[in-house]
Amino acid sequence: MSGSPQSSPQNLPRVSLRSDLRLAWLLTRGSDRREWWRVTLTAVGAGLATGFALGAAALASVSGWYRIPFANGLLDEPGTRDGVMFALLLLLAPVLGFLGQCARIGAVHRDRRLAALRLAGATPWQVRRIAALESGLACLLGSAVSTVFSVLFMLRIGPPSAAAWLGFALVAVAVPVLGAVVSAVSLRRVVASPLGRVRRVRPATNKGIRALLLATVLLTAVAALMVATGTRGRFNGLPLIVFTLVVLTGMGAVWLAGASARLIGRLLATRARSAAVLIAAERLRDDPWAAARSHAAALLVAIAGTGFMGVREVLLEGLDPKYAYAPYSPEDLAFYNTGLDLTAAAILVALAVTLGGLAVGAAESLATRRRGLAAQAASGVPREVLGKALLLETALPLAPAMVLAGIGGMGVSTWYAVLAGDGRPAPLLPLLAPFVIYAACVLTAAASLPLLRRTVRPAELRYT
Amino acid sequence: MNHPTDTSVPLLAARDLTKSHGRTPALRGASLELREGEILAVTGPSGSGKSTLLHCLAGIVRPDGGSVAYGGERLDRLPEKRLSELRRTEFGVVFQFGQLIPELTALDNVALPLLLAGTARGQAQAKAGEWLERFGVRGQGELRPGEMSGGQAQRVSLARALVTGPRIVFADEPTGALDSLAGEQVMSALVHTARETGTAVLLITHDAQVAAYADREVQVRDGAVVPQGVAV
Repeated sequence: MSGSPQSSPQNLPRVSLRSDLRLAWLLTRGSDRREWWRVTLTAVGAGLATGFALGAAALASVSGWYRIPFANGLLDEPGTRDGVMFALLLLLAPVLGFLGQCARIGAVHRDRRLAALRLAGATPWQVRRIAALESGLACLLGSAVSTVFSVLFMLRIGPPSAAAWLGFALVAVAVPVLGAVVSAVSLRRVVASPLGRVRRVRPATNKGIRALLLATVLLTAVAALMVATGTRGRFNGLPLIVFTLVVLTGMGAVWLAGASARLIGRLLATRARSAAVLIAAERLRDDPWAAARSHAAALLVAIAGTGFMGVREVLLEGLDPKYAYAPYSPEDLAFYNTGLDLTAAAILVALAVTLGGLAVGAAESLATRRRGLAAQAASGVPREVLGKALLLETALPLAPAMVLAGIGGMGVSTWYAVLAGDGRPAPLLPLLAPFVIYAACVLTAAASLPLLRRTVRPAELRYT
Repeated sequence: MNHPTDTSVPLLAARDLTKSHGRTPALRGASLELREGEILAVTGPSGSGKSTLLHCLAGIVRPDGGSVAYGGERLDRLPEKRLSELRRTEFGVVFQFGQLIPELTALDNVALPLLLAGTARGQAQAKAGEWLERFGVRGQGELRPGEMSGGQAQRVSLARALVTGPRIVFADEPTGALDSLAGEQVMSALVHTARETGTAVLLITHDAQVAAYADREVQVRDGAVVPQGVAV
């Protein structure tokens, strides 16, 4: 091979994280407008996660009673401060889930790019690593911007302690790393073949679920042991029990969303009288777990939203001088109102992240099936039918979930009204919350319809 | 890395390959040999199984039955990681279109296999530049695939397929999306470079003019290989 500018394969250096990072940077830099919206979404998600984590770190750096010049005293007491901190950390879960969704939609959108990487000799793991590193870079951008603004905000309140600075530095580094890890985990079932991207089917054995269940049982046992042995102070079993309950509730909600989607798909597939319902039902029957996480998040947010609205009304009525045993001071009222406002804000953020996840899921579903959809459109299925089917895929499984959310939320507010003990019934206005959330979810799915128009172009059929 | 050097044994040998796409059989006992430095054209009508055969031979798709031997290794039994390594170092693949990454410039596209292998970017780009020069598209190095003509993009694809010094280039209808002049330029560049570097080429085509560039031609009919004799 003399005279050729060839490099000997034997002399090629080992594949390194650095070279993959370099490639991820090159690919991100060369992204087009369609790619940048995903990068922006990822950066926004990472920015939110950084903001929440920085807030929690700042609160964790304070001990004992401490005057914080905002939130009307809500953050002054260690007890309520811990509650706010816990809520901030809890909000990280949907945000991280959203980052994972962004990584998955990225993999679908870039199937040709991933295929080209595989064709050029990248291993499946290397392709996933490059895709995860791309997400990590976007997270770094979001995290950096969020850190700068958060630190400026905190400097206005007062100079942070050394412990707070350490916490900020850890968060600023950890969020991009966590973003990359979440992306890698989300892409674990995505296998890019040199001929185009395919999604690996769900494994027959549910090892992951079993491991999660085992971990939850272990956590419960540890928490129970801590409570039984009477461990006191900040390390008592309560946070662990709450965490375990949150994990169990999340798992239960995902299972419920998937199982109900499968049941609805089965029932409707045999009874459908229109093409759109039939397509949607078959899709639900075929892959009921595709949107289970987003739908579970919508269910939980709807329960929390309905319950919160009920509790808020009962609490505010209790604070009303007409009903209160003794009039509350303006400071007390401001304290309670701030607490309620912050909780409402947290639920709204969770709703926004859930809707974002739903939109990304709908777009992913479209992009995954674009060749099939293009073939259907080319063979004469009207685009309106495909659009209706897409909406029904969201609307059908969410309908029973919202009924459940109404019942659950009303249960919470009724329980609180009974606790309040003044004999007034639980308010019914919160029952509107599931309807509003349902409408928001369907509208979010409708927002992906313009993408359908692009998806069903016959040009998609060229890439087979 | 075991480089097959004995020219008496085939560089790549497929025996009785079978492969089905769902219920549709694409290959029904196809056998084929490729020798060191040989340019072999595989022709046949549409749907005869040519592309599936190439995918099996390049380790892109695993056959349902039969064997593919390369340098003492059974490609049909190798793990995905080793197959990827082979595609990165020993094989080059060129399709009709679509294998270039739209986000990367022509220079970075050609440098890609070297970057994937961990070569420093400057070194990889220098090597890529040499190959672009060779294929007469050095001036297009900073363009992205969407900004190039089909012929230019295909020459960039050839440069990428050859940049790591592969033993075999698999080309699936490399001129299928080009006009006759551009197709001729691409084929001349491929054959000239393959002869110079001793690289074997497995060329899938349904175009007799393209097949005429090969040392030998075989035909695929109904998923099986039929010898055609010497074409040149």
